[in-house]
Amino acid sequence: MGWLRLLGKEYLLNWLIKALGSSIGRKFVMGLTGLLLIGFVIVHLAGNLLLYVGIEDYNNYAHALHSKPGLVLVAEIGLLALFLAHILIAVGITRENRAARPEGYQMRRSKQNRTAATPSALMFVSGAILLGFILLHLADFRFHLRNPGPDGEEPFAKALRLLQDPVSAGVYFVGSLFLGWHLVHGFQSVFQTLGWNHPKYTPLIKKAGVALAVVLALGFASFPVWAMLKKYGVQL
Amino acid sequence: MSLDARVPIGPLSEKWTKCKNELKLVSPTNKRKYDIIVIGSGLAGASAAASLGELGYNVKVFCFQDSPRRAHSIAAQGGINAAKNYQNDGDSVGRLFYDTVKGGDFRAREANVYRLAEVSANIIDQCVAQGVPFAREYGGTLANRTFGGVLVSRTFYARGQTGQQLLLGAYSSLMRQVERGKVKLYSRHEMLDLVLVDGVARGVIARDLTNGNFEKHAAHAVLLCTGGYSNVFYLSTNAKGCNATAIWRAYKRGAYFGNPCFTQIHPTSIPQHGDYQSKLTLMSESLRNDGRVWVPKQKGDKRRPEAIPEGERDYYLERKYPTYGNMVPRDVASRNAKAVCDEGRGVSETGQAVYLDFADAIKRDGREVIRQKYGNLFHMYEKITGENPYHTPMKIYPAPHYTMGGLWVDYHLESTIPGLFVLGEANFSDHGANRLGASALMQGLADGYFIAPYTVGHHLAGRKLPKVSTDGPEFEEALRAAKGRVDRLLKINGKRSVDSFHRELGRIMWDKCGMSRSEAGLKEAIAKIRALREEFWNNVKIPGGNAELNQSLEQAGRVADFIELGELMCRDALNRRESCGGHFREESQTEENEAKRDDENYLYVSAWQHQGDDKEPTLHKEPLAFESIHLTQRSYK
Amino acid sequence: MEKKLNLTLKIWRQKGPQAQGRLVTYPVQGVSTDASFLEMLDVLNEELLKKGEEPVAFDHDCREGICGMCSLMINGQTHGPDRETTTCQLHMRRFKDGDTIVIEPWRAKSFPILKDLVVDRTAFDRVIAAGGYASVNVGNAQDANCILVGKESADRAMDAAACIGCGACVASCKNASAMLFVAAKVTHFAELPQGQPERYKRAQAMVAQMDAEGFGGCTNTYECEAACPAGIQVTTIAKLNREYLKSSFAYAEESKSSEGEG
Repeated sequence: MGWLRLLGKEYLLNWLIKALGSSIGRKFVMGLTGLLLIGFVIVHLAGNLLLYVGIEDYNNYAHALHSKPGLVLVAEIGLLALFLAHILIAVGITRENRAARPEGYQMRRSKQNRTAATPSALMFVSGAILLGFILLHLADFRFHLRNPGPDGEEPFAKALRLLQDPVSAGVYFVGSLFLGWHLVHGFQSVFQTLGWNHPKYTPLIKKAGVALAVVLALGFASFPVWAMLKKYGVQL
Repeated sequence: MSLDARVPIGPLSEKWTKCKNELKLVSPTNKRKYDIIVIGSGLAGASAAASLGELGYNVKVFCFQDSPRRAHSIAAQGGINAAKNYQNDGDSVGRLFYDTVKGGDFRAREANVYRLAEVSANIIDQCVAQGVPFAREYGGTLANRTFGGVLVSRTFYARGQTGQQLLLGAYSSLMRQVERGKVKLYSRHEMLDLVLVDGVARGVIARDLTNGNFEKHAAHAVLLCTGGYSNVFYLSTNAKGCNATAIWRAYKRGAYFGNPCFTQIHPTSIPQHGDYQSKLTLMSESLRNDGRVWVPKQKGDKRRPEAIPEGERDYYLERKYPTYGNMVPRDVASRNAKAVCDEGRGVSETGQAVYLDFADAIKRDGREVIRQKYGNLFHMYEKITGENPYHTPMKIYPAPHYTMGGLWVDYHLESTIPGLFVLGEANFSDHGANRLGASALMQGLADGYFIAPYTVGHHLAGRKLPKVSTDGPEFEEALRAAKGRVDRLLKINGKRSVDSFHRELGRIMWDKCGMSRSEAGLKEAIAKIRALREEFWNNVKIPGGNAELNQSLEQAGRVADFIELGELMCRDALNRRESCGGHFREESQTEENEAKRDDENYLYVSAWQHQGDDKEPTLHKEPLAFESIHLTQRSYK
Repeated sequence: MEKKLNLTLKIWRQKGPQAQGRLVTYPVQGVSTDASFLEMLDVLNEELLKKGEEPVAFDHDCREGICGMCSLMINGQTHGPDRETTTCQLHMRRFKDGDTIVIEPWRAKSFPILKDLVVDRTAFDRVIAAGGYASVNVGNAQDANCILVGKESADRAMDAAACIGCGACVASCKNASAMLFVAAKVTHFAELPQGQPERYKRAQAMVAQMDAEGFGGCTNTYECEAACPAGIQVTTIAKLNREYLKSSFAYAEESKSSEGEG
């Protein structure tokens, strides 16, 4: 079992502890968890888009997912770990970064060709808003704390019902836009953090990041809109 | 005291080898018992401190800036010479030696210059090994360019920032020794006095500029690597903080001052534009490789440069010196610029400028090639003047740039005070009466990497150096003197700012002891400087106190020393009734108004000995003997 | 053409490291548009002196944009409004008559204020001391042309080595991060064969020292790149990240037995 020891204790764990102890290491973990979460979000959106394909397809997909509770548990724990790591490190580095300048400037102006409110400068804020959105989302769909539905409700019906709650719909809509906002910077930032900055590819990565962010934001934002339109009887 | 330069006897090319073979050595285990103080962290200081630290000595480095990396060597633009002959154009140690001696108008010590040429190749090797990013050819070999006063391409460069890269190389080696614990840094510190015990340099008094604390530091040897004193002119290409205080205080403690009047006025600086101006910015001499210098043929021609047709332009350097053209040595270029401006043919509003025109080069090579070579210089020029040199010719004018004079040192770079070594621009040794371009970096690093580490060891091993305590009477006396001087400055509480005195001194020096000097003018200058000194010590105003960061106080001490040094420069210029290199005496010129040397009477180094504040210094002469070359009247025609 | 400006300056005055600071307003008249920003401050200081007030302390030295000594946050921007320009190279023609100019020192925990606009940047020296060099003693060098360096690598190394160590990257970064400074030095050596032997050790040691000095982390906002007077690019930070990542896997701490004199 030498290889396990090497991987586990002697190497990987040590490396992780060391990485979390340095500013760049924390950034790596931040970026990696972010990238994995983006992967999750993409899969999540793909699944959700089945709402538009048909009631049956969506229900089947949802049932198939939940038919393997062990897998779901592992996935949930994994996701939770990713989120927690991402969030805790974010809180940590934000605090540290604030501490690096105890007394601020009286006047501040960027030298970059851009306006003040840019995605990169507000990652913590957009992240916090996203967190609120996710918590509400979990309260709605995972823990049924708000608007609990009847027993045996089919997934499609549940989704439609929850999305038609005006508060949820509003938060989901805004939250989705902030997800895009977060990813405009987040996606390309991962590549910089992992050291993949190349004059040939970086412009492409930046464009891809924006495109991905737009697709994800519009994709997710479309669900509450769709639900509300349905609620008020607009024919789609 | 007689001046013994300790030049080894024997053929020129074997002197340094012979010297090294005869130098006493300190055993590896004993090196850690010796403390060495290095003042200044430029090329000479940083390289010396790093090398001595590598050897195992305990080194303390002092600099007035916040970091050793900021020393003014960093501003050298053009390059560094080395006799590598990488271009296969016939270069050799002998030729670099000859060019340097000739460029210096035969007023340098032959043996020192030869040694400089000998070690020049090692400098490039060392710097490359450190990771200095010199310019490269596509094949990966080093690139070269040519500089003024020579006919080969032997100058190595890193864009227009060669000094920066060499200094950062030396600085990184220095910081490595700091990490090893062999060097201790004292930044934002200024040396205020030298401490002698039994006639040997054994320490310094320094002031911590952040809080005014006076500190006593003892050592077995002291190295002054504090650069030159061009700021005596107020406006110069030196950094604002460059000063002569360390060497001046050493002079007052008994070190002789060599050739103080030998100053270099660099031909290609951006001209002065207003009274408030604080410094002059150099445009690298390398620009003369492609730029053509001209003025209108007609006096008072106020047309825009583009409007003046070719036939009405006077490319006076090309006309007068067809062989070297625009690449004549600096003193020649400067003096000719002054001459055409004195004739009334100068350009710009002040009439104190000539054109440096790139139109032909751009036409020949294309704008892109010129941009690659000089882009950062053009950018800098545009920043300062608001004019675009791609479209309109640059305006340039000479500016004080370098001082060949400095503390007198022997072949070991040791001053007349045993244990006090002087390196780089702060000493007088290698450039004679004029320095060739790209030679200052070479000298600073040669002294620091390859000469002082050997000769300082000889001093340590060869002399009895009993333990000294910083509580001893000599340290107490020096501390009292340094404190007393600061107190005296603060108590004057007069009406004029330090800066106004400095400007006035600068005007006197520039007018009377600048590019052209005469007996009457120099005598007048001495009288004026004495009066200025009197007024300074009665009427200067320094706000604030000692126990804080007080920039006016720092400056006051430096200006007080510059005033005294200015007088010595004039005295030396007055004594040297010949023209040589950068020193042009109106009384000594050829019929074509070229500088006329007088080898019969002035083939010597002037070494001045301080006798007391109100006494005249004594002149000692170190005769110059040229064993291997024949003295000629310089000609660049 | 030269013109004269009347300006209102708001300058941070602070007696000493522990003292409380504040912005003080000073009107200045007749400033030439040809003057540099620091010359404008010289003029102010002369006037303050005449009035018996203490001049404003500010760092400066070469006044030609290379020594990195000058600093100043001018109207909220490091080294003023121009790109790739130091404060000493900023000229007053960049301002308009009647302008108000706010002048502050660099602000960061790792750059404590000494007085007025003067800050202590020795943290940078300590970061370099941690590994910003190639360990070659004098006397060891082979012929310079034995080390071939392709022009492109040499150019990239030079691009990074052009850093003047002024600290604008730290001052402009919302996190007061020194990443661009460290990245420039690491990149300089990583691009050259001379830097290879200590490549991993350097990345580890310099980053550790940077963290120990209390600089913030990089959040890829790239303000440093816009602020840098030497034009250092954030691609160097990616390079540093890569070097650091590789070194985290490849570099093992020196064993005690291999520890020599250093």
